[in-house]
Amino acid sequence: MTDRCLACSLTPEAEPVEHRRAQAGGGLRHTAKVFRAEALKQHRRVFGSRLVVFSMLVWPLMQLAATYYTVRPLAATPGIAGRWPLAADPERLLAFLATGALGFTFFFSLVQSAWHFSFERVTGTLELLFLSPAGRLAIVVGNGFGALVQNVWLFACFMVALFTALDVVHVAHPAMYAVVFLALLVPAVAWGAFLNSLLIFSRDSAFLYTLLDDPMWFAAGVRLPLFALPVWIRVFGSVLPLTGSLAVVRGALLDGRTIGELAPTLLGLGALTVLLTLGAVAALRLGEANAQRTGRLRLF
Amino acid sequence: MIETQDLRKEFRDGRTTKVAVDGLTLAIPPGRVTGLLGLNGAGKTTTIKILATLLRPTSGTVRVDELDPLRDPKAVRHRINLIAGGERMVYARMTGRENLWYFGQLYDVPRAVLGPRIDELLALVGLTGAAGTVVERYSRGMAQRLSIARGLINDPAYLLLDEPTLGLDAPIARDLRRVVARLAAEGKGVLLTSHYLAEVEELCGHVYVIGDGRHLTEGSPAELTARTGGHRTVRVTVPGASPEVEAAVTAFAARAGTVAGLDRAGDGALVVSVSHPGEIAGPLTMAIVGAGGTLAGLEVTEPSLEDAILALNDAAWLVTA
Repeated sequence: MTDRCLACSLTPEAEPVEHRRAQAGGGLRHTAKVFRAEALKQHRRVFGSRLVVFSMLVWPLMQLAATYYTVRPLAATPGIAGRWPLAADPERLLAFLATGALGFTFFFSLVQSAWHFSFERVTGTLELLFLSPAGRLAIVVGNGFGALVQNVWLFACFMVALFTALDVVHVAHPAMYAVVFLALLVPAVAWGAFLNSLLIFSRDSAFLYTLLDDPMWFAAGVRLPLFALPVWIRVFGSVLPLTGSLAVVRGALLDGRTIGELAPTLLGLGALTVLLTLGAVAALRLGEANAQRTGRLRLF
Repeated sequence: MIETQDLRKEFRDGRTTKVAVDGLTLAIPPGRVTGLLGLNGAGKTTTIKILATLLRPTSGTVRVDELDPLRDPKAVRHRINLIAGGERMVYARMTGRENLWYFGQLYDVPRAVLGPRIDELLALVGLTGAAGTVVERYSRGMAQRLSIARGLINDPAYLLLDEPTLGLDAPIARDLRRVVARLAAEGKGVLLTSHYLAEVEELCGHVYVIGDGRHLTEGSPAELTARTGGHRTVRVTVPGASPEVEAAVTAFAARAGTVAGLDRAGDGALVVSVSHPGEIAGPLTMAIVGAGGTLAGLEVTEPSLEDAILALNDAAWLVTA
């Protein structure tokens, strides 16, 4: 270590620039900086090896293949075309399952990233986040967004190629592609922020990881249509944003529905997104207040 | 100036309540290194975390340049930073430069300032050559030095140092002490806790001593040492000392209200040790010479801050008991 002076801004006469900026506001710009930094940090922390491509593409594809070849024999069931027409057409069945896999990858990648985020408590860096003036919501949203983009981009590209090859996508209007994209992205980011908010404060919320794996793909209709599920499972599925996202994605891409026809689903999805965001804000406030009271932010 | 008034922090665990900080009133002015001393569990880290806004006091007030951290935490967080000993508080899979860039974003350091500041801080902690290396390849000391640079990334007006040199190699710790002294000289307010009392003695202009969360005493290191009745220890080596010399030393110590230690060195020389708060080196040597002894060595050890802290803690413990 050399004994050098810091920048001239360390002189007592000079009020540090960031102090003045903090007093002058600039909250939105700061939020954007935190969001970007957190997304990049998430990328650098998680993607340390090229083997990560397995979780980005190979693993979801294997799951899709396993599901397809499990469900495929249904096509031979007598009368299946009357009860679930889609199952009688192998290509449309594959498209149905592929949309489910894509949606599940979106949402489950955020469950994984939230679980990773909870390790900030173990590594001692969580305190540093709360020591800083950065907006807490910007941190958890940025973290979720970063995880989402890096986890799904490769599989999403593959899905686009698959849909193009199958020629099963028929949208009512090209703008529906944007609707589909947003219906996946926005609720997923809110979902990630909510999970991050829960997992960074609670040592005992790891059960969510288990709860939101198999039960989520089952209850959200990832691999089976919702009408095939018992009512109580559908009720559970209705509180999962993935359920609404899949309804929009499948409705727009596979059934050619218009935005008007999907409006009720979109409104429900929007409401759920708002609720998740508010839940994240509340969890962050309550969690930080509790940590300030109990000093348990650093325990793990 | 950071000021606290009657600061109290309780932790509840079921039906039991532990008082970690009990009525502390402190002042950490700009331009000075202020020490906070006490044995393990005295409440030092809890106090620092309250000042850093990581903990909320149960009662009492904190003001940072007149700002109330409870009402205006963001503005306070822009003005302070915390450096704790240990190498955990950085991201292992990011490079040193990426770590500093990331924390610079959290503190909203302007882009034009951040780049040069990162270079400056990396140079300051001797990590310029390792700036592009991921932290998991750093040694423990390197990671800790990066943590120190991280604590300076927002150019804080007040720096809270909780055992900052813990585990650092001696030359690095020495350089860090120089940096801390420089920062204080340039106008920053620094609060330092350390188990290395020589470090506190060297750096701090004012020291608070706490025990069981309570304020025990305060003052400059020299004042604390004097106030607690620290004893100087005089060691005199007397070759070929006769029984008369031993008797004279024993009698002298008795008159001074203390006891003389009499040991024989390997070469048979008598080693006399006398501890006393006053200036007794002169009279002791006069007594030895007067009894026919000759002096081969004289060593006077001044009372240390460590002695003072131990004495204060013992006194506090006796009061509590």
